[in-house]
Amino acid sequence: MGLTHRALLYDERSDFLAATGAFLRQAVEVGGAAVAVVRPDNLGPLREEMAGYRDAIEFYDSAEFYRHPVRTLKAYLELVDRVSPLRVHAVAEPVWDGHDARQRLEWQRYESLINVVFAGSDASSLCPYDRSTLPGDVLDQVRLTHPVVVDGADESTSDAYLDPACYSAARDRNRRHDRPADAEYLPIESADLQPLRLFVATRANAHELTPAAAQNLVTAANEVAANALAHGAPPMGAWVWTSGDEIVCEIGDHGHWRPHPLTGFVPPKSALDTGFGLWSVRLLVDLVELRGGWDGTFVRLRVRR
Amino acid sequence: MEAFWSVRRPVGALHAGDHAWLACSGAEEHEHVVGAFVRDGLLAREKVVYVAAEPDPQIPGVVGTPSPELLTVVHAGHTGARPVLDAVTAEVEAAERAGFAGVRVTLDLTCAARDPEATRELMECDAALDRLVRPSTALSVICRVDRRRVPPDAVDLLRAAHTVHAAPDPDFEDAVLRIVRTFDPRGLELSGELDASRHTVLDQALATVLAHGDDGPVHLDLAELRFIDLGALNMLAEVASRRVGRAPLVLDRMPSQLHEVIATVGWNMLPGLKVGCAAVLAPVPRP
Repeated sequence: MGLTHRALLYDERSDFLAATGAFLRQAVEVGGAAVAVVRPDNLGPLREEMAGYRDAIEFYDSAEFYRHPVRTLKAYLELVDRVSPLRVHAVAEPVWDGHDARQRLEWQRYESLINVVFAGSDASSLCPYDRSTLPGDVLDQVRLTHPVVVDGADESTSDAYLDPACYSAARDRNRRHDRPADAEYLPIESADLQPLRLFVATRANAHELTPAAAQNLVTAANEVAANALAHGAPPMGAWVWTSGDEIVCEIGDHGHWRPHPLTGFVPPKSALDTGFGLWSVRLLVDLVELRGGWDGTFVRLRVRR
Repeated sequence: MEAFWSVRRPVGALHAGDHAWLACSGAEEHEHVVGAFVRDGLLAREKVVYVAAEPDPQIPGVVGTPSPELLTVVHAGHTGARPVLDAVTAEVEAAERAGFAGVRVTLDLTCAARDPEATRELMECDAALDRLVRPSTALSVICRVDRRRVPPDAVDLLRAAHTVHAAPDPDFEDAVLRIVRTFDPRGLELSGELDASRHTVLDQALATVLAHGDDGPVHLDLAELRFIDLGALNMLAEVASRRVGRAPLVLDRMPSQLHEVIATVGWNMLPGLKVGCAAVLAPVPRP
């Protein structure tokens, strides 16, 4: 059957409740797994609206569920797996406030990635967008990331919908790659990565990351460096700097790799499949930025305190 | 003699004056630890005295047919501890007269320790043996029992009487990583940091454990592992996947930060790996 990924544009809560309520009722009636992941404001009213179906619907608070785009993808994958062979029908409402520009961009990318990551499933998702409160640039992206848009009684195919790889590549085009002059540098000169781990761990601790977050960053940096050693070209090294509440670690080598825009975003089935390393790296840190340029290949890892 | 402290010392690091203790969990551990003690002694052309309960023992660590000057087998039978002590003392004195730079003795105490009456005599003889070993510049001893065949009280009593506990030699050890076999449960104890430059040694150590074992679970004691890379987790999952239908690889005593890394990646990504004993914050010494 394949994935159905629809956006719902609404202005009033009553419109939201009518459309999501109908979607969930239908899901229950056809014997599917009905799931509602909605923003805190909408959670209470939707529960009330669906009171008659309470036990048949799983409710989640978006503020909890949408914290990290790649981990959220993973959570949905686990949900689809858990209820299989039932078909998942999910009201999936992302959170759009409290993000800086870069985080917002990642959540928009996430909405596009849904189309690839769940392409092989027969899940059906309805993503509500509150037109009365959301900023224009969030609403602008909806038709680029959702193949189908529901607006009131009107359901139409989006002419603006972009292939996720193209969408992702376009989102990266304006990224800046400068590095502050005071970034600390460690050359990677041998296959023994213990000095790199010490270098990263010391700075992560100084930046007051929790021990778990520091270990995750060290594991991610080690993985990227091991990839550079296996596939890249010397010289290679690591830079670390801080930027506000972020610690940034970049691993670079002189090899010429052109990462696909979706590299590491599409989950492997297990650790035995290719792609496990970079998918894990994306889970371990807050943000991964890949760049293949004339000057080499660079992987930037960002973690917020 | 009651020991209030003890050290675990790899068998390869035992030295003259060490009167060590080994409570084996089975033939495999006996072969691994006592075998290394015997083999290293014979290779260094030291005198080896092997005291066995049975008349024609399979002596671990022996390659070829060593000359009787190098290797003496003493059959203890059921004569009690005193005659055995006398025989060992005579062998040691003879070896020292013969000018051996080192003398290694290993005694099986299993039979004596099974009988409460005999245990009292055994403890006296063990104390006498201790007086013989401690001041010596040539003699090292491993007293051993089969832990499964001796009452726990007697094991505890004997354990407490020995300050040095013989441990297996590491399968691998450098400044960053140490891999040691474990026998109860079967598996490996990993300490330090494990990354791509040491995947091969982990692979070899795992292969050894898997080659000797049945289909039971293989335990990895991670209490002292500070770092594991994704490639090693991938390797472990691969090993587990080759054991389909058999017992899993069990990760014991995972430090919380390693646990967090795997939880973030997702246990579902690592089929065949299971969490065993609870995670610990501080390394706990092994028995």
